[in-house]
Amino acid sequence: MNILDIRNLTIELDTSAGPVKVIDKLSLQLAEGEIHTLVGESGSGKSLLAKAILGFINPRWKITADRLWWRHYDLLGLNPAQRRIVTGRDMAMIFQNPGSYLDPNHTIGEQLSEAIPSGELKGFYLRRRTDRKVRAERLLHRVGIKQAKEIMQRYPYEISEGLAQKISIAMAIAHSPKLLIADEPTTAMEPSTRAQIYRLLGKLSASQGMSILMITQDLTTMIPNSQRTSLVYCGQLMESGTTEQILNKPSHPYTQAMLEMSLLDQSVAPKSRLPTLSGAIPTLQNLPIGCRLGPRCPRARRACIQTPPTTRKKQHSFACHFPLSEDE
Amino acid sequence: MRYTLQRLLLLLITLVLLSLFTFSLNYFFPGDVLTNMTGIRAIDANQYASVALERDINASFPQQYITYLGHILSGQWGQSLITQEDVFQTMTPLLGASLELIVLTMLLSMLLGAPLGIYAALTEGGSFDRIITGLGLSSYSIPVFWLAQMLILFFAVKLGIAPISGQINPLYDVPVTSGAVLIDIWLNDYPYPYAALLDALNHLWLPIIVLSIMPMTMLIRITRGAVLDVLRQNYIRAARARGLKGSTILTRHVLPNAMQQVVGQLGLLFSLLMSNIIIVEVIFNWPGIGSWLVKSIYERDYPILQAGVLVFATLILLVNVAVELFHAWRYPQVRKELYAE
Repeated sequence: MNILDIRNLTIELDTSAGPVKVIDKLSLQLAEGEIHTLVGESGSGKSLLAKAILGFINPRWKITADRLWWRHYDLLGLNPAQRRIVTGRDMAMIFQNPGSYLDPNHTIGEQLSEAIPSGELKGFYLRRRTDRKVRAERLLHRVGIKQAKEIMQRYPYEISEGLAQKISIAMAIAHSPKLLIADEPTTAMEPSTRAQIYRLLGKLSASQGMSILMITQDLTTMIPNSQRTSLVYCGQLMESGTTEQILNKPSHPYTQAMLEMSLLDQSVAPKSRLPTLSGAIPTLQNLPIGCRLGPRCPRARRACIQTPPTTRKKQHSFACHFPLSEDE
Repeated sequence: MRYTLQRLLLLLITLVLLSLFTFSLNYFFPGDVLTNMTGIRAIDANQYASVALERDINASFPQQYITYLGHILSGQWGQSLITQEDVFQTMTPLLGASLELIVLTMLLSMLLGAPLGIYAALTEGGSFDRIITGLGLSSYSIPVFWLAQMLILFFAVKLGIAPISGQINPLYDVPVTSGAVLIDIWLNDYPYPYAALLDALNHLWLPIIVLSIMPMTMLIRITRGAVLDVLRQNYIRAARARGLKGSTILTRHVLPNAMQQVVGQLGLLFSLLMSNIIIVEVIFNWPGIGSWLVKSIYERDYPILQAGVLVFATLILLVNVAVELFHAWRYPQVRKELYAE
């Protein structure tokens, strides 16, 4: 059953060149306990999508959607206060530049304790305080921080960005949310910790039924047991399907290009050109009409100046006029 | 620790430069150097000779300066050219009277300015915010000497509810010890304390209002800007998304961070207040350092003039360094910004 249901979400920004649809009719469903990987290059609007789900909204954005439902709540219909209660209780997010999400005037310990919901603590004031501390320490241990006691005394300006990232993960999982949005959660970490974090997230999803929307830049950094994968380019959904389908039988040229770029099969001849899409991601002011991948797509033809319809086959959907057929 | 030492060293160097400046004034002022320095004229031959010896006036400049510094530090600031009174002893009660105005003004502007600024920021774009920022900007641009006279004309002359000038009605002969009349009444066990207190307060409120308008409007603007800036920060938005209560976010996350910016500006505010206080003291005939300094300029009373400059500049320097030290002590991350990462 889908607990997060997004249909045709559009986010418009006002720029000097007029309104721009940064996210164009994007649909996304997330089932309970599912790990969904959202892949897109920088500037594709994936962080914006995450913020729109969380209600982390700038009043200048114009958000419209046919459906933006979280369980039985219509998120766009709630007033800000109600929405804050719902998202605060059920959702959490790991942000991209975690340092700026920590209050510079409080120690890590104070902020971490604040994220622990007081409803789960019992006893009187003093007992609850020590309880909070113990829980905070345990959280830090879980995200792989060994000197938890020492780190809790520190101020945000005294820690590295990688550490801040781990702390923001600890804060995000503090109240065991139903939905965790992880926006490139391991960019500032060393590879060994990265694997540990992925294992932790995978375990949380399996043991607590936590759904995870994992946002990454490429197909190589994925939580191992990610069930579904979607690819976004410039705010348009290119392809969405089970991770297996995406990795093995891509239908969309963009997916294939991303797969080649990520060098998963390691079969690149020495001194050959690395596979890339030609050109660069267009700026917000110069988005192409129709399929936004058009100017860079190897299979583009004249029809691509029309936005391609979304083809749905069971779990699998893609938006392309000239998809890769299975026999190719 | 290193920061504290650095600041204190800077303070010391600035004070030395300041005293060097006041010392050199004695040579730049017209007339006899020793007379400018001590206020004793050459006619008084005996005393002049003994002071010349005492001040090493025939020695080299560095030697003279060191002797001068010793006199400054031990409170021997010479005597007034006009009244022949000891400068340092005249200065202390005047400083008390000025400090009374300064402290009360700072208190009033902080108690009113900061909350108004916070409220304006929280209701950004609302009618209250517009009124407050509009009023703030317009009253910020009113010159203080004009405002003082207008308020005197209105409250003292037209309505007659406040005295025109002075610190207290001469009927109450409160002995002057500290110079701050509110403290003097209490210190000297004055026989009619409440009547005297009431009269002193009646003399106080007008100059305090005039003085606090500018720091208060500045404080409103600084606080408003700081709160708005903090409200836009990611950690505030994250706290909101985490579902924290609005009041918790405000008291625990917004205000401490906004106040950090405000505290950093207090030194500037104080410097502004000090330049205004000279004008206001003259207009209200307040027996403080400011009016003393202005009077000494009119009377060419050079010993007093250099003493006034010294006291004013020292006060501003001390307060600024104190604010900086407090800022760095209370908000540790400031220190990180001072050094490279």
